[in-house]
Amino acid sequence: MNSPNQPHPHSTFNVQRSTFDVPNSSFSSSPPLPPAVSCASIHKSFGTGEARVEVLRGIDFTAAMGDMTFLVGPSGCGKTTLISVIAGLLDATSGTVELFGTEVASLSSRDRILFRRKNLGFVFQQYNLLPSLSAAENAAVPLLAAGVPRSTALERAAHLLDRLGLGSRTKALPKILSGGQQQRVALARALVHEPRLVICDEPTAALDAESGHSVMELLSQTAVHPDRAVIVVSHDNRVFHFADRLAFMNDGTITKTESQTALQEK
Amino acid sequence: MIRLALDILRADRAKFFAMILAVALSVFLMQNQAAILSSILTMTGSQIRDVPSAGLWVMEPDTECFDQAKPVRDTALYRVRGTSGVDWAVPLLKVDAFARSENGKLTLAVILGVDDTTLVGLPPRMVMGDASAIQERDTCIIDPGGYNLLFPNEPHQLGKRIRVADTFLRLVGISDASPPFTGFPIIHCTRSTAIPLNRGEGRNQTFILGQIKAGADPAAICASIQATTGLKARTATEFKADSYQFYANQGVPMLFYVVIAIGLIVGAAITGQTFLMFVKENERHLSLLKVVGVTRGQMTGMLFSQAALVVAIGCCFGTGLATLTTVLSRTQPFLRGIFIPPWVAVATCGALTAVTAVAVLVALRNVQKLEPAGVFRG
Repeated sequence: MNSPNQPHPHSTFNVQRSTFDVPNSSFSSSPPLPPAVSCASIHKSFGTGEARVEVLRGIDFTAAMGDMTFLVGPSGCGKTTLISVIAGLLDATSGTVELFGTEVASLSSRDRILFRRKNLGFVFQQYNLLPSLSAAENAAVPLLAAGVPRSTALERAAHLLDRLGLGSRTKALPKILSGGQQQRVALARALVHEPRLVICDEPTAALDAESGHSVMELLSQTAVHPDRAVIVVSHDNRVFHFADRLAFMNDGTITKTESQTALQEK
Repeated sequence: MIRLALDILRADRAKFFAMILAVALSVFLMQNQAAILSSILTMTGSQIRDVPSAGLWVMEPDTECFDQAKPVRDTALYRVRGTSGVDWAVPLLKVDAFARSENGKLTLAVILGVDDTTLVGLPPRMVMGDASAIQERDTCIIDPGGYNLLFPNEPHQLGKRIRVADTFLRLVGISDASPPFTGFPIIHCTRSTAIPLNRGEGRNQTFILGQIKAGADPAAICASIQATTGLKARTATEFKADSYQFYANQGVPMLFYVVIAIGLIVGAAITGQTFLMFVKENERHLSLLKVVGVTRGQMTGMLFSQAALVVAIGCCFGTGLATLTTVLSRTQPFLRGIFIPPWVAVATCGALTAVTAVAVLVALRNVQKLEPAGVFRG
């Protein structure tokens, strides 16, 4: 794990990774933090009978607080299914998933939504911005869903967008923003409510190399935080160097897990 | 989240306006047809309503409505007057005859000969002239629609002559009689003026109008009159209902019901289908909202608020359009009675609201089935 007080080794901006003031930060706490995400023997299959397809075959996976963990592997290996199970959007066929010590599957449907609303942020490959809403409104959606007054929510979203370099585009509709700018709005939406886990699904796949690198740098600088875990699904090896840890998946299993340091030493 | 939902709705202008248009046209169609139906059926009681002082109507037993009344024996008047509980009773002669104006216009007219002394049977309001002037022999008053038929494009003017049978009636007033169901001119004169015009069965009264003494039981008095005279006695309210029911059972309302039903079905189909399409096309965004933590209750509120906005605007436009056409219609003399009863406005808007609510519930069911994980698909 990188020390949060050190510049990210791969950041060309040479900016401290975390620029957010977070109350009750365990920045300097010495005891090891429990894993943010803990998956044990996850199996997930779709269909029945002969049409049954087992997508996840006994996954054991953890993601630590303060880490940016990459899930990498070829298309169809089960990466997106795994993050869907982790996020509580899909139920595992068997096995357990714990987020911050809570077994998500044991929660009621409503509690699961509320848990997700409070603790999770998402960044998608296709941004998934609401086309009729401005950048600030899009970024503010999680706050609005949580019942934060509109003016406060928009103010916080605009502040975050400013930090992400979109201070002058807060009122712009997604259709007039570039792909990289849209993904930054999506990043703001993922972070605006200060979640403890951010899940990014192929965040650079729809972007050119430069924009993708820029988005990953911002993600690295703003999302990674001692009180937050970040999971990034990617098969874009150009951005693997942003990872603290990489879990390699293939055919529904995690074949190996390596830290960035170990990977670089190789 | 409600404002966010409305922003999303307004952004899709094509569907937003399509839904508003569908609701507006549907409401207009239903209100317009229901108003016409309701108005013309209300007109079946116009001449009964125009004699508010008469709470009791006595007629031949075969009489089913005001327009199809047979004359009664002259002696019946005294029997009615002699019935215990009857305060007073006067005759009313109704003659259906051709009326011709001086310029040759010919039309069938309803001539109502009222009691010479009391003038009970005259409409309560006048447009021009003094109603009591009909006490002079061979004079009459006419309703505005009738005047327009006999003297088209001529300004209201008294002193004109109308020929009925072989008698020339001098016009001494224009009444504000309620528009009749039949559309024929309503000519009021005294009974003594009307009797020579009556070429019927030698009976010179069609109805006996009366009033029941205060505190008396109307049903018992009507039964008593029927027993002593063999005639049918109805309260004004009952007679209006009889006339209404007579025409309501003639099949004409069915045509209006069909158009009203078509309005509802078309409105429901377009509004419901467009709303479902709108939700369908926004599935990805709705999935996203579910992923970021929008609860089922919030989602329900969002969809209902979107539908409510569409229905509210659509109903306002539809009702406004229907009101406008009604107001314009009322400038025509025979359409003076056209109006939109408040219950029609409420019922049509309520029907559209209910239909849209069903569409929202169907859409909600589809939204609940949405797999939020689908939002990860590229």
